[in-house]
Order: sequence, then structure tokens, then C-alpha cells
Amino acid sequence: MSIDSPSRDQTHSPGDGPHDSPEKVDGRERLGVWLFIGADVVTVGALLFTYLYLRAVDTAGHWMNMWGYQGSLHTYQYWANAAANGTLKNPTLIHVGTVSAGLQWLVAAITVLSALLLWVGEKGLRANKNAKSFSATAVVAALLPVVGIIFTAVLLKDLPQIFVSINDSNTMSYTTYDSAMMALLSSTIFHLVILTFLGLGLSIRAARGVVSGDRWYQVRLVRMFWVWVALSSVVATLITTTITSTH
Amino acid sequence: MTTTLEHATTMAQPKGGGLARHQNFATAIVAGVVLAWVGWFLGRHLFWNGSDNWSDQVTILTLLGWMLGFWIGIGAFNAPFQWLLGRDNTRADNLYYAGDKQGRMRYWKFTTDHKVVGVQYIIVTMGLLAVGGILAMAIRTELITPGTHFVNQQVYNSFIAIHGMVMILALIVAVAGPWGNFVMPIMIGARDMAFPRLNALSLWTLVSAATVLVGTLAVGGLPVGWVVLGTIANQAGPGMDFFAVAIVIFTVSTTVASVNLITTVITMRTRGMTLDRLPIFVWGTIITAALALYAFPFFFVAEANQIFDRTASTSFYVAAGGGTSWLQANLFWLMGHPEVYVILIPAVAALFEISSTMARKPVFSYRTAVGAMVVLAGLSAVVWAHHMFTAGWAPSLSGPFMVTTELISIPTGIFFLVLVGTLWRGNVWMKLPTVWMFGFIFNFIVGGVTGIYLSDVPLDEQLHGTMFVTAHFHYIFVGSVLFGAIAALAYWFPKVSGRYLNEFLGRLSFWLVFSGVQLTFGAMFLSGLKGMPRRDASYSFAFEHTNFISTIGAYMIMSGMLVLLGAVITSWRSGEPSGPNPWRANTLEWQVPTPPPLENFDVLPVITEDPYHFDETTVNA
Amino acid sequence: METSAKKSLRSFYWTWVILTAVGVGLSLWLPRRYMPAAMSNDAHLTMTTMILFSICAAPVASGVYAGALHVLRHHRYRGDGVPPPAPQIRESTKLLTSWITASAILTVFVLVWGLGALAAENGSSSSNPLVVNVTGQQWVWTFSYPGTHVVSDELYLPENREVEFRVTSLDVTHGFWLVNMGVQVDANPDVITTIHTTPDKLGVFEVRCEQFCGLNHAFMDAVGYVVTPQKFSSWLSAQPARA
Repeated sequence: MSIDSPSRDQTHSPGDGPHDSPEKVDGRERLGVWLFIGADVVTVGALLFTYLYLRAVDTAGHWMNMWGYQGSLHTYQYWANAAANGTLKNPTLIHVGTVSAGLQWLVAAITVLSALLLWVGEKGLRANKNAKSFSATAVVAALLPVVGIIFTAVLLKDLPQIFVSINDSNTMSYTTYDSAMMALLSSTIFHLVILTFLGLGLSIRAARGVVSGDRWYQVRLVRMFWVWVALSSVVATLITTTITSTH
Repeated sequence: MTTTLEHATTMAQPKGGGLARHQNFATAIVAGVVLAWVGWFLGRHLFWNGSDNWSDQVTILTLLGWMLGFWIGIGAFNAPFQWLLGRDNTRADNLYYAGDKQGRMRYWKFTTDHKVVGVQYIIVTMGLLAVGGILAMAIRTELITPGTHFVNQQVYNSFIAIHGMVMILALIVAVAGPWGNFVMPIMIGARDMAFPRLNALSLWTLVSAATVLVGTLAVGGLPVGWVVLGTIANQAGPGMDFFAVAIVIFTVSTTVASVNLITTVITMRTRGMTLDRLPIFVWGTIITAALALYAFPFFFVAEANQIFDRTASTSFYVAAGGGTSWLQANLFWLMGHPEVYVILIPAVAALFEISSTMARKPVFSYRTAVGAMVVLAGLSAVVWAHHMFTAGWAPSLSGPFMVTTELISIPTGIFFLVLVGTLWRGNVWMKLPTVWMFGFIFNFIVGGVTGIYLSDVPLDEQLHGTMFVTAHFHYIFVGSVLFGAIAALAYWFPKVSGRYLNEFLGRLSFWLVFSGVQLTFGAMFLSGLKGMPRRDASYSFAFEHTNFISTIGAYMIMSGMLVLLGAVITSWRSGEPSGPNPWRANTLEWQVPTPPPLENFDVLPVITEDPYHFDETTVNA
Repeated sequence: METSAKKSLRSFYWTWVILTAVGVGLSLWLPRRYMPAAMSNDAHLTMTTMILFSICAAPVASGVYAGALHVLRHHRYRGDGVPPPAPQIRESTKLLTSWITASAILTVFVLVWGLGALAAENGSSSSNPLVVNVTGQQWVWTFSYPGTHVVSDELYLPENREVEFRVTSLDVTHGFWLVNMGVQVDANPDVITTIHTTPDKLGVFEVRCEQFCGLNHAFMDAVGYVVTPQKFSSWLSAQPARA
């Protein structure tokens, strides 16, 4: 490999501070964020694949129906005792029904709203160079996902567990629909927690002057990921609210 | 993430001592143990102990405590929280965290220098190979005669699963880990990786995952096979929780590493390092990284579902609840087949590099070779169901998946053409890397040809699930990938240590391992043809002779590997000094001093042609 | 110079031819020596395919081996120190296209053969197959014959009649493998999978589990018999009825 004599900007001794311009570093970090988003696309895709696959096979009609006794996590002990005492009558066919579509759409809407808010904040920061007002916008954008987390937790809590007692083996079980929903809702919470962390970080950094009208690159990085999360929540909600029953 | 700040604070002095500067492997273990205990304690009291999920819930919480504590203890969370609070590192801080002036201690810390990470990867790979190798010896010892004597069935079943997964992990990182980190950034003329902290993160998340995976042995093992098919995994004890957590964290490690490798190659190449001048090993690394980025999230979801099943009463893989292990099989193999090429491609790409240097000739058909790797990576994403030909899952898809699978033989064939074509009419320098490369060529043909049998559905309906399959992929993993990894080790060892890997011991090791592979897996083909199933702790007398030969061969492989270990240790301490460019290669990693200084280059080189032109000036350069 | 290069090339071709001959010999000998006795149409097809693919692979593998050996013999640098530069050959369109064409032709051949064999295995030739229900559980196989009361842990099959196996499992996934018949399919809980085969040779054969299924997986096997149709019906009627 032939090597020419270097131009001046290629010479740099380690003690001289950063090697690359902020623009160059930003380009690098943007690619990194795109790649992480790519991996996340596959992850969310695999969760939706799980959902659709279980619905398609509907083994033994268990997508939303199960023979058993309806209970919840907190009453497991009650059911187990009942089973032990032999007081359980024949199991009934329980239809679990779908998770509230309205609440799912509400969470998606909150996520989209927070993404838009951050985007507007970013535009404002770049145009007006007002870090203080951006900091306020970012903190609101960061708190919206917290609301989303609360609603998602409500959805998770409302998934009905079914007590199954076959011969001597007693178990709590979710239908496959509820299982797939549990994984998707957990993924939603995980993403919203990250958004909260990132939003708070931007807000604090803007308040401390680390993020400012001239140094706004990280806002764009966060916004890229934020928009992807909003998009994925819309797509996932669209699928889980329209493609539900197997009949 | 810090550079924007650095302009403002270039002159700031390094922040005083601080806890962050005293974090190392020991503090990581202490914090991990403490938080594991906290997790265990909380788990025992938070969850109702009458539930049949209780022990799994406690186990998972304990393991999450261990992971969290380990990462806090090693310092993985420092940077995110500094970022949150707006207190970014100064440049002096960054130099400190890159291990500047810290001697050997830097190998035990969350060090960001890519060369330190590379060496750490060598150590982790050797550790994993040692664990997997010892288990392999136990397995072969059990199989030396029919019946069970050495270990009981339960232990044997655990060993095959843990041997399988540990070795898969070891081979995934065996080439791309050490050399993708140590030499790749220098090869493209970069001062470090694009995201040095993510680099350290990928290494230490791997270490935390590996400890949990090996820890499986301490909690009753994993007697369910390494594929951990959904239905049988539900019968496993806490070992299954260990496995699932280890895999979830491992996928995080590979994702972080892949993002870093790709970004580094795309954005950090020095001036003049155009894509068609890129050393071919660099191509191999980023194609692999792209494939890993696509594949491993499926594994993440497969094992996350498993954790839900075990702790939260879901029914993903529980047939009684409407789940199906075909879902697990699909997710597993959506990862599992691309993963095979994640393992293979870096080894092949390293051999392309080695063949050119050693034959004093350019890589033959450089562009076609790169194209073959890309096509292979692409095809590998659409062949996963060939692992499920006999699962009964979707018989109508057998034909299409057979087509995609067999098309793979075309790019694989090109690998041979490129390797032999590069050596052809060369002046082949028979040093240690070359010797292992010839071993690779021999074994890879055997592994490749037998793969064609297995891709044929009617043949697979006889050979699937037999020792034939085991022999096939061991010819690929041991005979080919491990040989390629050792060739790469022998080739780049002088760059890491400044010394040659001992030629005599290296060759002794080669002959032991090479003959061992032929005996072990050659005889294993015959066992499989005769109809011996895989994963059996015992077998009928019909398979007696071939199994005896396999075991003897396995002992030879082990002794060869021990000789190699001896060679690495003695050569690292007192081998023959090599100078900065012992092979007179043209790629950039050989143009910097040995050991390469922090940040590699004082002056970034400007590239005017690819590294594969050899003339008289390169002989004595 | 020219002639010695030609000479060494000629030795390359000879090595190739000899190795190919050895490979073809092995292809004809090894499968027949080591594979279990074929007792069904599928097993015969398996054997033929095995031999055919091996013969196809022989020239390819031998070509690479002959090339590697040629390099070892004629292009090894035997001097001291760093070898001098070799001819800087970067491409050979002719070699590349012929290599890719050859491997593509072989692949297409293997594919066409494989798809044909697959169709032959899947195609149901008989309108009246004997149905056998197969149930796997840790760690035994049970066979029942619908329309009769027969439940057995040994598998009896009549000669020359297509059999349809309907396979399921009571617990974990098992692998139902008729070793001498060349067919296998997984036994999954709550799912029925089917395979067909036509036994065409009298004798004893092995039934094994080939999917890892827990503690006693290694011992999960059963004995099968292919008998004449007359013997088969007398065996059926001699079995005690089990509920």
C-alpha cells in the first residue's frame, strides 16, 4: 500500500484535543443511530412475527380461549388452595377478549405527540438558538412517555390470567394472544423508558449549556430514534388492534 | 457523543481521582455478587413461593442483579449518567479511559483502546474454548464405549448443551473479536473505533454473559440440548434461566459490536482508502457485522419469550396453552443460520489476507471474493427452515428452502477459487499461518460437500438428527473456522506481542489437531451414516469402533490445543522478536510500530493503491 | 521454463483425475458399506441420491485438492528469508466464468434431482394406504392401527403397501425416525405430522428418536418388522384388544 505524504489536517498529535470536527463526529454518530434503529426494527419485527404466527396457528383454539378458571396473579394462592381442596368444578371455556384498543391507540398517540414535540423543539433550537426554551420542551417530551408507561402498565395488569388445573398439575397461564401482547407491551415500556432517559438528558444538557443553538447535533440523534419509536408504536398498534380474532 | 463538548473544555484538567478511575474487574465482581444477592433476597420475598414459577422468578432476578452489578462495577454506566447530567469527559479523561500509561492494569478495566479490547477478546475466546474443550473431552470420554460409565445421562445431556452454546459463542467472537478490534481499525487508517466506549461495552457484556452461561454448570446444568427446543426447555431447571439470560445479554453484546464495526469502516477510513482498496479482511468484518445486526435480534426475542414463559406464565412455547415450539424453532433458526456465516466469513476473509501475503501475490478476483461474501450473507438470511425439514412444520416450503440452501454452494465454491487462485503460481512462504491455511482448505471441502447432502430434503430425512450432521458442522467449525482462527492468530500474533508464535510448537499442534480432526469427525461421519443419532449418551454395539476412533481423535485435538496454548504463553513471554512487519505485508497494521502506540498514527496515512501489490521494494521494506 | 510449467500442469491434471477416481470409488463403496439396509422405496432413493451426489462432488473436491497439492509441490518457496514477489495476477475472467458456470451447472443438477426426489417422496401413490398412529412420549413409542383395537409398542408393517404415519407426542418434541426406511418427522405435542413410505423388503428394522427429548433419549427406540400381508393380518387379529 503506497502512502503519500499527508496533508496538514491529517497530522495530529494525541495531546492536541479532539481529532475530528463536530460535523464529522455527528455524521458518524448518525450512522450508529441508524444501525441501532435497524437492529430494533428486526427486534420489533420478531415480536410482531411472534404475534402473527401464534394467531395463525391458533393451536387447539387457544389464541384467545382457554379451558380453566379465571383468576389473576394475586389470586393464584386462592386457586391453588381451591384445587388442593378439590372444590374446583369442571373448568369453563374462558374467552379473554382483546386488550383495549382505545388505550393502545392512546399510548401510540402520546408517543407520536412527544416525538412531534421534540422535533418542533429541535427546529426551534436550530432557528432561535434558545437553549432554555428547548430545555423546557425536552422535559415535556420526556414526561409524556412516562404517561405512556403508566397506561401501558395498566394494559399489562389487565391481561387476564387463567388458572388451569389438569389432573394434578396446577398452573397459571395466559392465552397465546395475551402472551404476545405481554411481550409487545413490555417492549413498549422498555422503549418509553429509554425515551424518558434521553429526553431528560437533552433537557438537563440544554439547561447546562452543553446542548445549545450551535451544538444541537445530539438533539437530532435522539429525535431520529424517537421518531422510529413513535412509528413502531403506530405500526404495532395498527396490527394488534386490527388483526386480532382468528374468526 | 462527547466531541461537541470537547472544544469547549479542551483546556480543562482531568477530574480528580474519583471512584470511576478505580473500577476494574474485581469491583465488577464484588458489585455483581452484591446485587445478585439483593436480587435473590428481593425475589424470595416479592414473589409468592407457592407459584410454580417462583424458583425461575428468583433465579432471573438474581441473574439480572448480577448483570446490573457487574456493569455498574466495571463502569459501563458511568458514561450514560455523565451524559444525562451533562458532565461529559474531557479529552484527558478520554485518554485515561483509553488506558494511557496504566500498564497491564488496563486489561482488567473498562478500557476503550481498541487494541486492549482486541487482546481482551483473545483471552475471552481462549477461556471459552477451554471450557467448551473440556466439556468435549468429557463427552468423547463417555462415548468411548457403549453404555454409560464416565458421566451419567443427566450430566451428559447437560454437557452437550453447554459445550454447544459455549463453543458457538467462542467461535462467533474468535476472529471478528480479536482481529476485528485489534487490527481492523489500523488496517483502515483509523486512530480508534468509531465508538470506543461501545467497544468496551461489547466486550464486558460478553464477559458477563459468558460467566452466566458457564455458571449453568453450577446449577444443575442444561439437560435439554443446545437448541433448547421450546417444549423440552419447559422441563429444565434453573439452568434454562441462566441460558436465556446469557443469550439475551450476548445479543446485546453482538449488536453493540456490529454497530461499532460497521460505523468504523464506513466513516473512519483514512484519505484514499476507497472501498476497492479496502483490505479484504475489513470487508469480511463488516459483512459479518451487518449479518449479525440482522440475525441476533431474533435470538433475543426467542429467549425473551422463553423468560416470559418461565416467569410470567405466558404460553409462547407451551403446547397446553396454545403455544408451539415451532415458533421457537423459527426464531432460533432465523438467527441460527446467519450465525453460521457470522462465524465463517471472518475466518475466510482473514485467510484471503494471509494467502495474499504469504504467496506474495494479490488476492485473486478481489471483487468477486467480496461479492461472494455479500451474496453468502444475503442468502443465509433466507435458508433458516432447512434446519426444520423434518420438523413437519411446513412441508410445502421444503422445496423453496432447498433451492436457497443449495445456491449457497456457488459463493462457497468461489471461496476455494479465490484461495487456491491466490496461492497458484505464488511463492508460497510455508510459515505457521500458511500451514493452518492448508488445513482449512482440506477440511472446508469435506464440511462443504457434506453440507450439500444435508440440504437435500430426501437425504436429510435420513441423515438429520444423526452423527453425520454433527460431523458435518464440526468439520466446518473445528476443521475450518478454528483452523482459520489459529492461522489468523499465528499471522497477527507478532503485531500483538512483537514476537513470532513458536513455529515448532505451532506445527506440532497443527499435525495433532489436523489428524485428530480427520479421525474424530471422519469416523463420526461413518457413525452417522450407520444410523447413530446425535446427543445420545449411549449407543448400540454397531457403532462401537467408529466411536472409539472418534474419542482417540478427540484426545489428539485436545493435546494439540494444549500444545498451542503452551506456544502462545511461551512465545508471548519469550518468543523470537519479530519486528514491526515480519511478513513484509503491505496492509497498514504492519506499517505502524509494534506494539502500536495509543491512537496508532501520529500522522494519518494517505492511500494511493490497494495493499496487494508485491514488488522488489516490498521484500526488504 | 515453458516446458517445466507445462509439465507441472500436466501433473496437476493427472492428480485431479486420480483423486477423482478415488472419490468416485469411495462414493460407490462407502454408502453401501455403511448405510443401514434399505427396506423401503424411500431408502432406496436415499441410497441412490447419496451415491450420485458423492460422484458429483468427487471432481470438485479433487480439483481443489489437486490445486492445493500442486501449490505445495511446485509453488512453495524453498529459500531463506522473504520470498520474492510472484507474478502479480489479479483476475482471470476465463477461469472465473468457467468455475462459476461449472458450479452453477452442478448446483442446478443437484437441485433438479433433489426436487424430483422430493416430489417422489411426497407423492402418494396409493389411494388406500395403511394408517398407523404413532405416539411419542418420554421415552417410548406407541403404535396404534385405526379401525382395529391394536395398540402395540412394536411396529408391524405389511410388505409392499404404502403406510401413512400420523405422528404426535404427549409431552415434548420427539423425532420419529424409521432408520431403514429413510424417513423421519418430528412428533410434536398437540399437532399431527404425517409421513409416507412403502416398505419393500421383509425383515427387522429400527425405530429411533432423533430429536433430543430428555434423560433417556438415548434409549428411546422400538423394533419394527416388515412381514407379508398374510402374516400382518394374522398378527393384527392375534393382538389382545386394549381400550
